[in-house]
Amino acid sequence: MKRIFTYLFVLIGLIVLAFSPIQDAPLLIDIKCISTQKIFEANDEITLQFSTSEKVLPHLYYSNNYGSTLIVPTYHNAILSYIIPQKLSRKSGLVNWKLLYKDNSISGEFNIIPKASVNTIETYIGPPSINAGGDDFTMLVVIPTDVFDNPIKDHTEVSIRHQFLSNETNEQIFTKNLIAYKSIYSEEKSGRIIMTSECLEINSKEYDVNVLPNIPTGFTIDYTRNHGYADGNQITTFETSILKDEYGNTVSDGTFVTFFITNKTGHILKISGTTLKGIATAKMIHPDYEEQWMVKAFVNGIAESNAITLNYKSVILDFNISLSENNRIITVGPLQSFMKQLMPDGLEVTLSVYKDNTLLKRYKKQSTTGFVTFNLNGQFLKTDTYEFRIETAGLEKTIKTKLL
Amino acid sequence: MSALNKNIIHGLLIGAYVLLVVIIVFGISAVYSYLNTGADRSSMLHIKIEAPEHYTPKVVWKPINNEGRPIDEQTLKTIESDYLDAWYVRHVAYKTNLKEGIYDFYTANARKAIFNTINLNRADNTTIESTTLEHHPEFLFFSEDGQLAVLKDDNVVEYKRVYKANKLVLETTEIANYKVVLLLEDGFWRIRHLVKEPAINSLDIIKNKPLSKIDIKGINYYPQATPWNLFGDDFNIETIDQDFKIINKANLNTIRLFIPYDGFGKASVIPNKLKKLKQVLDTAEVNHLKVIVTLFDFYGDYSVLDWTLNHKHATTIVSEFKNHNAIAAWDIKNEPDLDFKSRGESLVTSWLYKMATLVKTIDNKHPVTIGWSNAKSATILKDEIDFVSFHYYKDLDRLETTYKNLKASIPNKPIVLSEFGISSYNGLWNPLGTTEKSQANYFKKAQAILKQNKIPFMSWTLYDFKTVPKKVVGNLPWRKNAQKEFGFINTNGEKKPSFKYISN
Repeated sequence: MKRIFTYLFVLIGLIVLAFSPIQDAPLLIDIKCISTQKIFEANDEITLQFSTSEKVLPHLYYSNNYGSTLIVPTYHNAILSYIIPQKLSRKSGLVNWKLLYKDNSISGEFNIIPKASVNTIETYIGPPSINAGGDDFTMLVVIPTDVFDNPIKDHTEVSIRHQFLSNETNEQIFTKNLIAYKSIYSEEKSGRIIMTSECLEINSKEYDVNVLPNIPTGFTIDYTRNHGYADGNQITTFETSILKDEYGNTVSDGTFVTFFITNKTGHILKISGTTLKGIATAKMIHPDYEEQWMVKAFVNGIAESNAITLNYKSVILDFNISLSENNRIITVGPLQSFMKQLMPDGLEVTLSVYKDNTLLKRYKKQSTTGFVTFNLNGQFLKTDTYEFRIETAGLEKTIKTKLL
Repeated sequence: MSALNKNIIHGLLIGAYVLLVVIIVFGISAVYSYLNTGADRSSMLHIKIEAPEHYTPKVVWKPINNEGRPIDEQTLKTIESDYLDAWYVRHVAYKTNLKEGIYDFYTANARKAIFNTINLNRADNTTIESTTLEHHPEFLFFSEDGQLAVLKDDNVVEYKRVYKANKLVLETTEIANYKVVLLLEDGFWRIRHLVKEPAINSLDIIKNKPLSKIDIKGINYYPQATPWNLFGDDFNIETIDQDFKIINKANLNTIRLFIPYDGFGKASVIPNKLKKLKQVLDTAEVNHLKVIVTLFDFYGDYSVLDWTLNHKHATTIVSEFKNHNAIAAWDIKNEPDLDFKSRGESLVTSWLYKMATLVKTIDNKHPVTIGWSNAKSATILKDEIDFVSFHYYKDLDRLETTYKNLKASIPNKPIVLSEFGISSYNGLWNPLGTTEKSQANYFKKAQAILKQNKIPFMSWTLYDFKTVPKKVVGNLPWRKNAQKEFGFINTNGEKKPSFKYISN
């Protein structure tokens, strides 16, 4: 009986032991970081080492600029070694790490600095074209990077060289906040600035910026024409002087110039042209009656010319009117020009028909070989007495006749 | 005979012809109207692009005093939005180990660094859920042609959950500074360089307000006509005023309200809802009632990428009312422990921790609590909140022991019973349920226990309801019907016997 109790006691004891919580073995494990280096250079072989009293293989959490990952250790002679993958150790910047063991209390950080040599000088220039005169500027921004695309450390010297006409300039600037920049101002002449930069004995490509002429200043206009007659046939050509900016640079080709022609009655005709080598031209057909034009040109909102005055003499001093076919055919002509030659085709003649000072009908026709013929239709104008006014080239004649 | 046949045939032919015409006309018109319906004409031009808010960490710009070209507000906004999206797509990429989205917000060289890490993580089956909660950017440089910008982002608070083979191995909050070079490419501001530097600040430490005692005799409140929808279209401040008068007259001093997360507009809180909440608080003040505002009602996502939206929501509401006299306390969430099963205890707890920290940094005047559904959960985050609250719907006989046990484990913080009660339902679905009389007995007994132990309390609830929305207790009729009759006042507006024991 006693023995049974003993067995039972032992059995119960065993059962209790089986269900009792197993002692947390890691409690006794002592892990310590034994790597002391806090600064590495990009692409260094980085190994974080920990001494451990027992063989455990916790992960290492690794967090850099661009992301985080977990690293598995190798265990050898009570040392845990975490080899940082090269792809991660290439990126410069602060690195935080944590040993994923127990309450993650073992943690730290180190810095990876960029390599002290430049592989690429990334260059950004803008705007690509600026105005001459010294007020406008372009900005050169460079980001020197090492072979692993890390921006070089701050306060690194960068030489900026630029050439314009006979000037060559070399200036030193320093990287700050990952970049270095320089504003390059234009000079009085137009042309092209060529620039380059150098950092730690690595030179960039050649870059250029166009210096365009500044805006034009005042200019003059002139005209050329065959003769001064208002024949409605010849063409007058208007031409500007060479448009220049205030520093004497001829403005860019294609500068738009508008000519405003104001006639005797105050109406405005508008023609335009674009510059070629600084000169803009525009053409206008002669008026067909006596006229005086006042002409002024503008580069819209920027510059204006002097005003010039042109006179056009009337070419037709008088004309004949003949009636035929029961007065229903009215022939105007011959219309003769300044040397008694027949007017070139296309002179406009207007016939207005009045009855008791009321306008009934107006006909417009263009001259052919010096004559214009109006055929008055019996359907519309019944047999009666009418007043006919005929106008051409600024002249007017009136006849009163009976249509049969 | 044959003439009749002929007429019939004619009639049929004509009829068939008419029918055919009708069918063709109908068919053509159906096709025509089909081609003319569908998308709105304005949508052809893509004039209105609705991008829902997806990432709203707190962003505080330092005063603008940059080198280079002066920056305009519009460009700064674009840069901010693209910069934050760059963070967002990176969070998504590390969560899924996929590369989508990275192309839009990182230049070709910067992408390589991210893809290297993604490839490592994918090979090792490591995923990282992360978000950033705070940014303090300073604009450093803007190039003359407006194509390159440099900024410094100080004290970025990053929260990460690292998983190995879908198992959480690390939860961490980090703080760091970043220097960023951005380039304008294809209309996107893309990150060209990103360099991490040590932060100057350290993380905020949660501060508690020592509260020795809290004087709450209260009730959870919904109007009778609009249960679980206090701030809806049928909002009626006069009814609420009447109810508050009843509550005040019944010797109660506090009410507990619920702010639905979706209903209030998620990250962009709807101004009209804030106005209604203000009216309720003002009315409560007039009626000498204090209000415990329970945030995030009917919210259940908790995913890390949703946090910035939640934080914006809470920031808007808490900063709006932190100085309101009627506020008694902020209840971070109602019964979050019920989401432990579906979302994971660790995730929900972290969410609550961050949210409590946030509310405390915005409002350092009012205490913060979490309305746990039972006493067992109430010890979670006990050090992060100012007073403990738990709900109790079990056997009354064990209330006192439950409270005392809880008090023993949290001796230095007030403990509030923020929900308790019993339904008086005994109908078809539960013929042996409680009667109005036994409900009254329940409250009589409960109040005796509460008074004796000086337990601050808030009962559930003032009214019986005619309807209970599906989202509250689901569709099962025995649950729904029981939930309708927890009130002290029945659907006819008559006080039930339990009303006598509404307070002590």
